Amino acid sequence: MLSGVTDLLSTVRRAAPADGAGSVVEAVAGTRGGPSRPPTGGAAVPATAAPAGWTGGGTAGSGASHRPDWSWLEDPADAPTPETLDRARRAGARLLAEHGVTYGGDAADGEDAWRLDPEPVIVDEAEWAGLDRALRQRAALLDAVLRDLYGGRRLLHDRLLPPHVVLPHPGFLREVDGLRLPGPRELVLTATDVVRDSAGGWCAVADRTQAPSGAGYAMEDRRVVAQVLAGVYRQASIARLGPFFHALRGALQAAAPAPRGDEEPGTTVLLTSGEASETAFDQAYLASMLGLPLVEGGDLVVRGGRLWLRGLDGLERVDVVLRRVDADWCDPLDLRSGSRLGVPGLVRAVRGGAVSVVNPLGSSVLENPALLRYLPRLARAVLDEDLALPSAPTWWCGDDVGRAHVRAHLDRLILLPTAQGPGVGAVLGWTLSAAQRETLAARIEAEPWAWVAQEPVGPSGPVVDLAAGAATAEEVAGIATAAPGLVTPPPGATAEVRAAVLRTFAVAHEDSYTVMSGGLARLSAGAVVSSALGAAAKDVWVLANPDAARPATQELPVVTEPGAGPGPGARATARSAGPLVEVFADGLHRVGGIAPRTAENLYWFGRYAERAEDQSRVLRALVDRWDDFHRTPWSAGGRALRDLLVALAPDALPDGRADVGPDGLLPAPALRDRLLDPVAAGTVATSVRRTLRAAAAVRDQLPPDAFAPLARVERALRDERQRRRADGSRAALPGGGAGVTAGMRPTLERVLEGVLAVAGLAAESLVRDAGWRFLDAGRRLERAQHLVTTLQRTVVVRRAPAVDDLVLESLLGVHESPMTYRRRQQSDAGVHVVPLLELLLRDRTNPRSLAYGLRRLRDDLGAVPVAGRAPDQRDHLLADVEDLVEELDTGTVAEAVTDGGRRDRLDEALESMRWRLLAVGEEVERVHFTRAAAARALEDPWDAGALRTPGDPAATAGTGGPR
Amino acid sequence: MSRVYDLVHRTRYAYAAPVTTSYGRTTMTPRSLPDQTCERTTLSVEPEPADTTAHTDFHGNRTTYFSVLTPHTELVVTARSRVEVRRTPPAVDELPAVPWEDVAARVRAGDVGDALLAVREGVLPSAHVTFTDAVRAWAAPTFAPGRPLREVLVELAHRIRTELEYRSGSTTVHTTQDQLLAQRAGVCQDFAHLMVAALRMHGLPARYVSGYIETRPRPGRPKLRGADASHAWVAAWLPGAGWVDVDPTNDRFVDDHYVVLGWGRDYDDVPPLRGVIFTEGSGSRLTVQVDLVPAGAEPFV
Repeated sequence: MLSGVTDLLSTVRRAAPADGAGSVVEAVAGTRGGPSRPPTGGAAVPATAAPAGWTGGGTAGSGASHRPDWSWLEDPADAPTPETLDRARRAGARLLAEHGVTYGGDAADGEDAWRLDPEPVIVDEAEWAGLDRALRQRAALLDAVLRDLYGGRRLLHDRLLPPHVVLPHPGFLREVDGLRLPGPRELVLTATDVVRDSAGGWCAVADRTQAPSGAGYAMEDRRVVAQVLAGVYRQASIARLGPFFHALRGALQAAAPAPRGDEEPGTTVLLTSGEASETAFDQAYLASMLGLPLVEGGDLVVRGGRLWLRGLDGLERVDVVLRRVDADWCDPLDLRSGSRLGVPGLVRAVRGGAVSVVNPLGSSVLENPALLRYLPRLARAVLDEDLALPSAPTWWCGDDVGRAHVRAHLDRLILLPTAQGPGVGAVLGWTLSAAQRETLAARIEAEPWAWVAQEPVGPSGPVVDLAAGAATAEEVAGIATAAPGLVTPPPGATAEVRAAVLRTFAVAHEDSYTVMSGGLARLSAGAVVSSALGAAAKDVWVLANPDAARPATQELPVVTEPGAGPGPGARATARSAGPLVEVFADGLHRVGGIAPRTAENLYWFGRYAERAEDQSRVLRALVDRWDDFHRTPWSAGGRALRDLLVALAPDALPDGRADVGPDGLLPAPALRDRLLDPVAAGTVATSVRRTLRAAAAVRDQLPPDAFAPLARVERALRDERQRRRADGSRAALPGGGAGVTAGMRPTLERVLEGVLAVAGLAAESLVRDAGWRFLDAGRRLERAQHLVTTLQRTVVVRRAPAVDDLVLESLLGVHESPMTYRRRQQSDAGVHVVPLLELLLRDRTNPRSLAYGLRRLRDDLGAVPVAGRAPDQRDHLLADVEDLVEELDTGTVAEAVTDGGRRDRLDEALESMRWRLLAVGEEVERVHFTRAAAARALEDPWDAGALRTPGDPAATAGTGGPR
Repeated sequence: MSRVYDLVHRTRYAYAAPVTTSYGRTTMTPRSLPDQTCERTTLSVEPEPADTTAHTDFHGNRTTYFSVLTPHTELVVTARSRVEVRRTPPAVDELPAVPWEDVAARVRAGDVGDALLAVREGVLPSAHVTFTDAVRAWAAPTFAPGRPLREVLVELAHRIRTELEYRSGSTTVHTTQDQLLAQRAGVCQDFAHLMVAALRMHGLPARYVSGYIETRPRPGRPKLRGADASHAWVAAWLPGAGWVDVDPTNDRFVDDHYVVLGWGRDYDDVPPLRGVIFTEGSGSRLTVQVDLVPAGAEPFV
């Protein structure tokens, strides 16, 4: 973990360190030129670019090694101490886990956790105001450039921007040429990554205009930091992030197409690149903050030139798409063929003006870093202003002079491909061998327009910012790049923060832009700042002048975020980490129905959560019996234990058998694996993982609190795994006996606590809409199947009464009904089959009974809309099971015992129920979740219409021809 | 000279399993140009599409979108046009004798008048046109220092016609120039891509042209209806002459036996038909018929 002692972004207000190199910053990059702008000729090497200073590992001479300034606290003694920060860091990590905050795909055991350093970056309001102004100007400039590139292209014709910057860039989509958003702006949402330059001013290193990520992380960071550093947070008058999100909603509304006639407005959706995306959390969290349905390409369809959201009961029109899918993946017809992330016909719908995509398709042409080189002159030409925010000195190799400079200084520049992608990332020139430099130079010579070089900027070292989700800097076509020591700290070393990047956000608002007051800061021990490489995030506090009046917009209850008081005590009662509650009252239309994919995920969320609970109860019962009876396998208890193991945990036994060995002992069952194995089928850990995955896919449908109990369950399992590993390495455990279950009971209790909390939330915190119905239906069906299966495996055999007592008692425990049974059967100490069957199968007042569950299931399925496919079969099956239960004469079937001691008729009845319940599950999936047939590209005609034989063209008989 | 043609271009997909929805885009409407007039044109799609709309794309071509929402096992897209062609092929000797290096230098310097964006785009690699050592080696003998570009064009076309075999079905849309050169056989699209690549990698603007060529029957046999060809060739930019159309497949300049549909960077910009279909089935049977006959001939059905 980073030591965090260096703060490279906060406002510096204290005395300068020894070298005094411009470390006192009053305000802003606003009116300054870049401190080391390359002369137009580009031949000189800026003095700040001495590589020795960056690679030396230390920050000698650096002017920015300091802690954030806490002097504004009323009592400076309140400033966080290293101990406070350590505690906050641990608490923060716990909260992030409980909120299910991830970065990166599907990593196991918390490796995909979002990393947050709670010590904030603090920037004072006066300085921020300058940056805010500069960012608004920059957004307006980029917007104007975007409009021109898809319009008249005057900037290219007039040579203000070389055509080779734009024409070969993959972000320049000819397919959307000439298209316009309705509102005043084309560029709605933009992010700019800024760093401190060596003089302490702000300097832009990259613009993110495709589908900027990170606003959701910034909000979540704020939420966590406000809680773990509540003491100082409450004393601060910190600018809120809320107005930014409010403005974003307004911008989406402003981008909506004009209504046709007196049509109701359509809905606005967030198009996600899916749960496997690295920034899936950011996307889902943003969707729930904005109150937008989170949809995938497959949930949408173009009909009649308009875009629709597939609901369970029909189509709902979509007016605006906030996209988090890269533009070229958005339409497999007009853009990248074969993309499954998009919607065929989307470009056509946009062209017809029926739907607005935000940011517009094609906006990533602005991400080309070569643009940084030309922004100053574009600002003068387009805005008639000087560019307020300087960029890192940048050379474009498509320009002869720039290329010559880059060629001569390869060893001290950062080489950036104009379009980053998988396998194409930044190259740190100084890490290359001479041979590698030659290879790179040759590549640049072959496609010079595709390369940019940037001078490293930053007070203590070079900074390379990689887009979230972009390639790592490990390789550019076979060129090994950044030396490990630069990218990651040496193992075991406490790394000092070397580089810090602040991602700022701006959104179109009326005739200007609204800048998020704060942002997402990321820090790295190496030269490369990338969340993919483990950079830690920080919250950014823009500290208001406590005397200034708060702007009216800050009073808007947009998104409840942890209340930051204007001064000590002022908002002491503010909820410091409550869930984000939408209180938007504006007109963005909320979607009524839910998509089949959402319904399906909710259904499986219900099923897996119930499965985790069922499996935990079974294991708990087995653990108890094992602890009591494993030493006496021939006793009644021992026989009950063996029967239960074979019936309920055959996978934990060798060959599914629990035979007593020649030593008179039972084989050690692998009960612990049934709990902890994260990969094997049928384990608690697997069910928990699948529950989480289903939940993450419908994050926008669930209360934020739903993730905390699941996170606790995961942690309980992880703790137990670690404990086992530690024990295992000490070889402390006996092979069998008590060691089989040691430590499992408390873990199981923790797991059950968590899954019960989830069940409670599902029961008490969700609106009874179609989504909830599916969730509940999943839970009911899972429980019914589990009940019938466990009964079938246990009670169809008649055992000696002493054994049966214990088996049936366990069974009651597995189905959470021992107390009810005792109350009903007070006169008898034993457990008998008939009353047990009555209680578990037929008693409608027992919420754990089959009869009760079936009725709930019927109600649930009756309340969800059905589109297209007939539900008759589903309903018949369900009615049949209900009849079977209704007609079951428990007394008769319990007494109908064969010579072999089996209750054949009971077995038959249970089997009839079992297969029907399985069939009900299949029918539910068929009726409700069947999605559109798979899309594929039409076979390309290629030469099907071309000449069969070349001798035939009539043209050969004509005149002329090259010869 | 002027010729008026009736043009029919029919593409038929037959599927084993029903297709629920088809989305498609065609570029089958001939452009109107100084030497070519599209007098009328219709596009029909069967089954009846729920939505069609046409627009002019980035390169100036007419393109039509359609969606079919009724389940179908056959999709038929038919374009019919009447086109007047008044095209006189240039005589080599009359083309400006500009050395190819001078053309490349003018393009680099931007000394190209209004054509700036088109010629700059014309020297960049594209989806189907890559700059490789194999293409460079193949093209090298033609690019003698100081040679006029007009001669380079003639020789490239001639070498393609004589060194490579035209073999229907020998390539797919994914075939690269390196593969083409290795197998020494391809179809008109491949030949056009190869010539475009050879020009572009020397800094000479070139684009890919999609269109048709009129065929004639073999001596003594009646003309087979529907057996004409969709075709592709190259347009190269020559200062003083503009874009010059050369057909490397037939080793000749493009004349009034050709109808231009449209152009782009390569095939990817102007495929006659592309689409996305939704189906549980797989596979399809594709037939394409093209009929390019003097106007007034009995209509092709």
